[in-house]
Amino acid sequence: MTVRLDGVTFRYPGAPSDAIRNISAACAPGAVTLVTGRLGSGASTLLLTVAGLAPHATGGTRDGVVETLGHDPASAEGRAALAGRVGILFSTPWTQLSGMAYSVSDEVAFGPANLGWDRARIAASVTRSLALAGAAHLSARDPRTLSGGELQRVMLAAILAMEPEVLLLDEPTLELDAESADALVALLPQLAEGAALLVATTDLDRTVDVADRILLLDRGLLVADGAPADVLGAERAVVTGASTAIAEITRAAGCPPPYPLTVDAAVRRFGE
Amino acid sequence: MKANSLAASPRLLALIPLAVGINLAMGKFAAAIALPVFLDTIGTVLVAALVGLPAALVTGLVSQGALTLLDGKVMWMAFLPVQLTVAVYASWAAGRSLFATTPRAVVGGLLLGAVAATLSWPIAYLVFGGVTASGVTIVTTVLVGSGMPLKWAVYAASLGNDVLDKTATFLLVRAILVALPATMAARFPAGARALGRA
Amino acid sequence: MIVGYTPGRGFLHRAHPFTPFALAGAAIVWAFALPAPTGPALLAVVLAAVALAARLPGALGTALVMAAPFWVFLLLIHWGFGDTPGRALVVGSQVTAILVAFLMVVAAVHPARLVDALVARRVPFAVAYLLAATLQAVPRLRERARAILDAQRCRGLRVSGSVWNRVRAVVPLTVPLVLGALAEVDQRALALEARAAAGVRHRTPLAPPSDTTGERVLRWSMAAGAVAAVLLRVLW
Repeated sequence: MTVRLDGVTFRYPGAPSDAIRNISAACAPGAVTLVTGRLGSGASTLLLTVAGLAPHATGGTRDGVVETLGHDPASAEGRAALAGRVGILFSTPWTQLSGMAYSVSDEVAFGPANLGWDRARIAASVTRSLALAGAAHLSARDPRTLSGGELQRVMLAAILAMEPEVLLLDEPTLELDAESADALVALLPQLAEGAALLVATTDLDRTVDVADRILLLDRGLLVADGAPADVLGAERAVVTGASTAIAEITRAAGCPPPYPLTVDAAVRRFGE
Repeated sequence: MKANSLAASPRLLALIPLAVGINLAMGKFAAAIALPVFLDTIGTVLVAALVGLPAALVTGLVSQGALTLLDGKVMWMAFLPVQLTVAVYASWAAGRSLFATTPRAVVGGLLLGAVAATLSWPIAYLVFGGVTASGVTIVTTVLVGSGMPLKWAVYAASLGNDVLDKTATFLLVRAILVALPATMAARFPAGARALGRA
Repeated sequence: MIVGYTPGRGFLHRAHPFTPFALAGAAIVWAFALPAPTGPALLAVVLAAVALAARLPGALGTALVMAAPFWVFLLLIHWGFGDTPGRALVVGSQVTAILVAFLMVVAAVHPARLVDALVARRVPFAVAYLLAATLQAVPRLRERARAILDAQRCRGLRVSGSVWNRVRAVVPLTVPLVLGALAEVDQRALALEARAAAGVRHRTPLAPPSDTTGERVLRWSMAAGAVAAVLLRVLW
């Protein structure tokens, strides 16, 4: 398995309770996995733990076993072995700017240059990842002049340029307008082909169509792990508010579970 | 600070440019509304209180460099020893919880003002013939005009200015430390000691 | 009055970034080491000529505007009250020469080129990063300070008039500005870490500026010239 968690618990420094508790799961390339729950359920923390940033960069304490590409990502040995191989994209594009680049292509090249790649490899990777993220036309722009949607695409390209084997997207659509968000979500299946992909999101209406698997968290506990229709269509997900608008409507209308998640699914179920 | 330990800490790499930005933004603001103070060491003092001496020294050094590259104020490079002394003094003051109460912050600021003025005096007098920031220089000019020898006029003017400035700086940094939300304060444990809470 | 990089094609723009900075460094030494008052005055004139030849009249203008208040106060303090103007002329020339040198260098060297030159010379990543990131962070925080002040003004804060009015504006500006910046620190640190900026060994320079033997010789001669000026000053 590319990513394996076994009984993982994490608590932030000074926090009164655990952000995630006793989580066991595994993940490999080929599937779009959404990590979801209500805001504050621990989905983002789970991603930080897989990346090793929790506790390495955030402080705090972790129990249990995290294995990312065969290493403990928070250990000194793991950090050295995993540099650039685990990519993580955050929700606010502005605070992800390197602060060192005056053009989009230099911004995307920031990570590969830090890894010490030679210039030819960097240039090829920058071109490829900008194209994949739909941002090739922005390459000569000053990153400080981009809109939020444009910038988030550039930041995605910046992560992809390091050719990560594990790709973690933390609420990637939170700060985006509808059009940019849809474009980013449409990319997810393609991204999952080359890397183990985990997406922390509360935007299920938009993402459920492309999801293969759902990890449902509730106050730090992993309460369900399975196919979207099973996990999110169940009573529990809809009651806790971690489901789609369609599921909530059909439940409110008095239909029995499992609830359909999308308009299409609802039509199929009630159309006959 | 060794470049190695800095490179190993993206947190300091993220913090220091922002602290320098605070120094220069506040300095520009104070000049723009013609305050009788500089306020351009707030970031340095804050880093000393929140993180410690090495990071504060780097903040002071980078601030002087940024003044040259961004504002063309290459003259201020001569006052680098003063910036570094502010960093040393502020981390000493934080270690002794001088930000714990308003009266302590006032005393801490007054003292720093005296130290800074005494240090910047020979630089201002010997290198620049007594001419530095325009506000201070106006006072110097008036004092010289009223018959005070130039040497003492320069000292009196910079003492008055530095005492006001550093007291204001210490009070502002105390206000910031007090206003720091608990989650953020937990990420800067040294700040609790500056406030005398640890 | 503009400080900072201005696009152009003069010889200082085309030079390796270290060459203009070597000139500026040597200028500081010369300003204080050359025999006063003729030395610094001549230096200021020569540097002004260099600025014009390098097609940087704007930088020269800015330097002169910035030097003007120094001249006014120097003449006032040292001459206006009955003394001789000698000291004013010396300090004024020194300040003018150094301002001209640095403002033309800053106008001719794009920060990205300077950073790439440093990276190519294996300067530690932290040094190159702090330089580059600070140059971008300062304008951003100044912009934000202005935005905060505008917002507070809309809520009735007065930042003009009496000294007391202006002093009272300081806290409502400082606290949000600083807390906002501190809130960013952890997000930025995570993002930097995610992009392999922790423990960088040898960063690849993205576009290392080309250097020539001629320029190297020029830089060494300027360094030698600076040393010679100091030696002459000490020994004479």
